[in-house]
Amino acid sequence: MKHLPKHLRPRWRYLLVGIEAWPNADVSRRDFQRSVWFAAQNLLGDAASADADLRVLSYEFDAGEGEAVVRARRGYVSEARAALACVDAVRDDPVGVRVRGVSGTVRAGEERYLGRARENSAEEAVVFRNATAQAVSRDGLVDVTVDGGFVGATRADLE
Amino acid sequence: MYEAVTATPDGESTVRRFAATAARQGFDGVVVRNTEEADPAFDATAVREAHDVDVVDATEVVADDPTGASGPLSEARRAHTVLCVRGGTPKLNRFAAEEERVDVLTKPMAGRGDVNHVIARAAADHDVRVEFDLGDVLRASGGPRVQALRGLRKLRELVEQYDVPYVVSGSPRSHLQMRAPRELRALGEAIGFDAAAIEAGLAEWGVLAERNRRRRSADFIAPGLERGRHDTER
Repeated sequence: MKHLPKHLRPRWRYLLVGIEAWPNADVSRRDFQRSVWFAAQNLLGDAASADADLRVLSYEFDAGEGEAVVRARRGYVSEARAALACVDAVRDDPVGVRVRGVSGTVRAGEERYLGRARENSAEEAVVFRNATAQAVSRDGLVDVTVDGGFVGATRADLE
Repeated sequence: MYEAVTATPDGESTVRRFAATAARQGFDGVVVRNTEEADPAFDATAVREAHDVDVVDATEVVADDPTGASGPLSEARRAHTVLCVRGGTPKLNRFAAEEERVDVLTKPMAGRGDVNHVIARAAADHDVRVEFDLGDVLRASGGPRVQALRGLRKLRELVEQYDVPYVVSGSPRSHLQMRAPRELRALGEAIGFDAAAIEAGLAEWGVLAERNRRRRSADFIAPGLERGRHDTER
């Protein structure tokens, strides 16, 4: 279909989003997009979520940390922010979502808010609460394996 | 703005991890409100220096009925800066709202909990803050979420009517569940709050901590009666 003349095209705002999860989480782009849609629909309802028209444009996720660009219609940024706040898990992996910034173009937003991945994560054995445990550390933040789950800690919590 | 968190062993992140996340998200501090049985035992000064956010030592008294809650109250009041009592039944809510020593009545609408004009007025009279808990709005879905929203709305109407002091929190149990102040504000607006009300509720934790720290300091004798600059140590 021929695309619309410029003055009729919708105006967009781009939300630059940081994603965090436990190190064993596997959050695919498709699942993240589904979670965003569901969150928006559950919070805002069909009508408003269709208006906000949230779409994940670019997505990167690796070893418990990721970034995404989410598009929203101009004037619906606040709704989009609220919906993204309600994304608490993707499938069964709990995720932390944070809007790092909002931009009028993808490029400016990416330059300004994304690409700040912390240094590479490393697996190591640590002593936590008087017991040895496997852990994944990154930038002073350590996710320790405890009883099959994880505990979020920092370097200073270890012994 | 402050967030009230539950750290390990009840939650899934340590106090330091919460502090690190809070600093990144733009909070001024975290209020650690574990129950007495799951005390995380942390060094507030060290955490404050390492992460450049305030850490408030709080506790939450959780009991089935007023009798069970009143027992540990004085000890909890002595030991912690901020004292919260978990509501959740009309009786508990009323007990907490009428107790001067209590700072915050948490989760008043959870479970079978309900708040009416009597409780709201009592909370305002006794300077007990009621908590708007956004946790279920953030993380539940379907029926439980609808109930949480209904509870928040009722509570909001009573708070406005009787000018009850209040706090707001997303009550995270891990650093992944923390949401930045702007996100909470946007969520609040989406469910009918004023953006300013959410901000005030998040900031109220800090006001509360500040007030209690002053009261617990050695210079404080009684409201309006303090050791001043003209007194010397004897």
